[in-house]
Amino acid sequence: MSTVARLRFQGITKAFPGVKALSDVSFDVQPGEIHGLLGENGAGKSTLLRILSGVFKPTSGSVLVDEKPVAFKKPMDARSAGIAMIHQELQQVPHLTVAQNMFLGHSVTKAGGLLVARREQERRAAEALAMLDPGIDPGAPISTLKVAQRQIVEIGRALLDKARIIAMDEPTSSLTPSEFERLAEVIARLAASGVSIVYVSHKMDEVFRICQRASIMRDGRLIDVVDLSKVSHTDVITMMVGRELLQDAHVSHATSTVKLQARNLTSPKIRDVSFSVCKGEVVGIAGLVGSGRTELLRLMAGVDRLSGGSLEIDGKPVTLANPRDAIAAGIGLVPEERKRDGIVPGRSVALNMALASLPAFSRSGFISKGRLKTTANDLLTRVNLRPFLLDRPIRLFSGGNQQKAIIARWLAARSDILLFDEPTRGIDVGAKSEIYHLIEALAAEGRSIVVVSSELPEVIRLSDRVLVMRDGQIAAELPREGLSESAIVAHAIPGVTETAPAA
Amino acid sequence: MTTSVAAPADKTASGFGRFSFSLRDAGTLIGLVVIVAVFATLVPGFLSERNLINILQQSSINACLALGMTLVIISGGIDLSVGPTAAVSAVITATLLLAGTPIPLAILAGLCIGVLCGFINGVLVAYVGLQPFIVTLGTLSTYRALALIYTGGNPVLGIPPGFRQIFNGALFGIPTPILIVAIVAVAAWVLLTKTPIGEYLMAVGGNEEAAYVAGVPIARTKITAYVISGGLAALASLILIGRLGAAEPILGNLWELDAIAAAAIGGASLMGGKGSIVGTILGAIILGTMRNGLTLMNVQAFYQLLATGLIILVAMMIDRATRGRG
Repeated sequence: MSTVARLRFQGITKAFPGVKALSDVSFDVQPGEIHGLLGENGAGKSTLLRILSGVFKPTSGSVLVDEKPVAFKKPMDARSAGIAMIHQELQQVPHLTVAQNMFLGHSVTKAGGLLVARREQERRAAEALAMLDPGIDPGAPISTLKVAQRQIVEIGRALLDKARIIAMDEPTSSLTPSEFERLAEVIARLAASGVSIVYVSHKMDEVFRICQRASIMRDGRLIDVVDLSKVSHTDVITMMVGRELLQDAHVSHATSTVKLQARNLTSPKIRDVSFSVCKGEVVGIAGLVGSGRTELLRLMAGVDRLSGGSLEIDGKPVTLANPRDAIAAGIGLVPEERKRDGIVPGRSVALNMALASLPAFSRSGFISKGRLKTTANDLLTRVNLRPFLLDRPIRLFSGGNQQKAIIARWLAARSDILLFDEPTRGIDVGAKSEIYHLIEALAAEGRSIVVVSSELPEVIRLSDRVLVMRDGQIAAELPREGLSESAIVAHAIPGVTETAPAA
Repeated sequence: MTTSVAAPADKTASGFGRFSFSLRDAGTLIGLVVIVAVFATLVPGFLSERNLINILQQSSINACLALGMTLVIISGGIDLSVGPTAAVSAVITATLLLAGTPIPLAILAGLCIGVLCGFINGVLVAYVGLQPFIVTLGTLSTYRALALIYTGGNPVLGIPPGFRQIFNGALFGIPTPILIVAIVAVAAWVLLTKTPIGEYLMAVGGNEEAAYVAGVPIARTKITAYVISGGLAALASLILIGRLGAAEPILGNLWELDAIAAAAIGGASLMGGKGSIVGTILGAIILGTMRNGLTLMNVQAFYQLLATGLIILVAMMIDRATRGRG
């Protein structure tokens, strides 16, 4: 390898109010190298990529391109310095053509800038795509392309910008194995032409397959830069997750009375899932993003419809046509996307709490302010709402306190099966442990709890039993005894099952 | 965050359902007071009891429509079909009256026609899943066509005095349209602020997805809003034909625009989830006052239109500039 690195991170530290997202991260990427960037959710990979692409400025440290320090004020600066980002969620305008998308924001013009030189754009787009995938028609609307091809169009766009560094954030999360092969070929060809690639992925075998070296991050720090030909999958996983486990405080309240029984649940994204939850039990559901965890919760909450299978509560079959049926059956969902699926932003925190059970707060058709006030006082004290202002619009509360209000909503509705989807996403550390204690207290009262989480320490901290999902199915059911992060990861990530240690 | 768990009980739940006169409503009221003050200095006799009652009477039809419109807008929708709904209801009620149908029965039939028109809008929005703007744009033409076809384009003349007395009379010296609309306004206010359906309207307009997950009956809530809007459009048409003594199939042209304007001036957000009954009534009175004052000043109709347009824009700019402080 040459001594002049194409890209070098030198002591990058990034602090946000109250959080240090990155501390002293240094590594380099050589010309023509495909460099893996690995770490759990929240390890700091995205923050690093945002610094590289000019969205964030580092608190200290510097980014060097060809050993020269660069300081980006805005994303456009990074782009003109030859750095391109390919996001997991493709940022394309569906009804525009491939060429139009590739030239979005800097069209080739003619007639003194009045008209878009459509032909010329399509010719240049075809040129850029020729080396990647000649089968893509630059004049076709982007919406007619498969995801893999759309990704290649993004790469083509990067080539048009004369990018010499391309960062890819989980590019294969929605690709089939054969599409991955195609993309891997394209990436290899790019690297051979001298482009440096930073490749972020969860999929261990892919990283081993296409990258030469990988930087492994955990909790905002660089753990190691490894030569992938000299380490095993297990080594890498251990470096990714190997932190002290937060299982000190776990207390089980599980009984042996089955509360909820799911049999062969099936939907477009869920395949034949069966499991049960007992009274007082906390069942954790782990798995990668996209493995069907959220979909499973939405099915059980009546938000989406089952296409097959059945649910029983207390031994009696229930049919859930909509969330109202689920609520009547005692099921409450605390959704992941609080802003989108949880709160009515302009209404008071008390009314948000009461939303799922307004008839219970009403007397002969009118909302009884007395009942509302009493219940809001009780339940919002119980969840420790702060500030304790029940009339204040919920949007003015912090994420953690909004979450408490949503939990109180299900207490008000007397739900005894609570489904939590990423209960502490976007919530600060202090409120996090409050939510944990609350979940434990709810279980202690005999409620049945299901917790979906991407944070393994959280799953381990809370769960009496863990279901690991993969590709819409339950890949493993792990008992409390011997539960470990590496055991969960081994079942969650395809391709490492053989090499991971038994739990 | 501190570890304090103190919950000051005296600070809780202070405003539920109380007569909540919000800052936004206060702003609308100030706007009205300013406009009234300007006309009072420019037009002699503007503040006379007779003229003030006149203003309220002239505002009553628009206020009636705007109340329904406010509920629809709060639910995240819009009802462009109120004018034609009123026309269908008017011509059918008038025909029934001429055929000798007892007055209460004819009134009931007219209101039912409005409710039916609203129900159709609501079903198309809530169950068929079409956009409210498009649905009511379609029914705007459809209902108007029905009124024209039904009458052959001719006005229905000769509405009996008994009917006219109800909608164009006076009780204790106050014209009945004012009393009718006042009762409707109180009912709408109670519905919006004191009942689950009112809270559902706010929730569906404020965040439909979250409302759905929380078990709010989305379709029923939306349909209720359109049904009320249709019913109130019919009521407004009864007031009008009571005053005119005739029902024209073209009545109610552009009514929807005044109703939307009144709701918007009163603080309703076309994005849904926000709106006020008190504000809407004040908004309707502001529009009525403008028209009354400008007419008394002998300002030409063209300039009246201009002034009304500017008032709407100015109101919205003030709303925009002050938002977030309330």
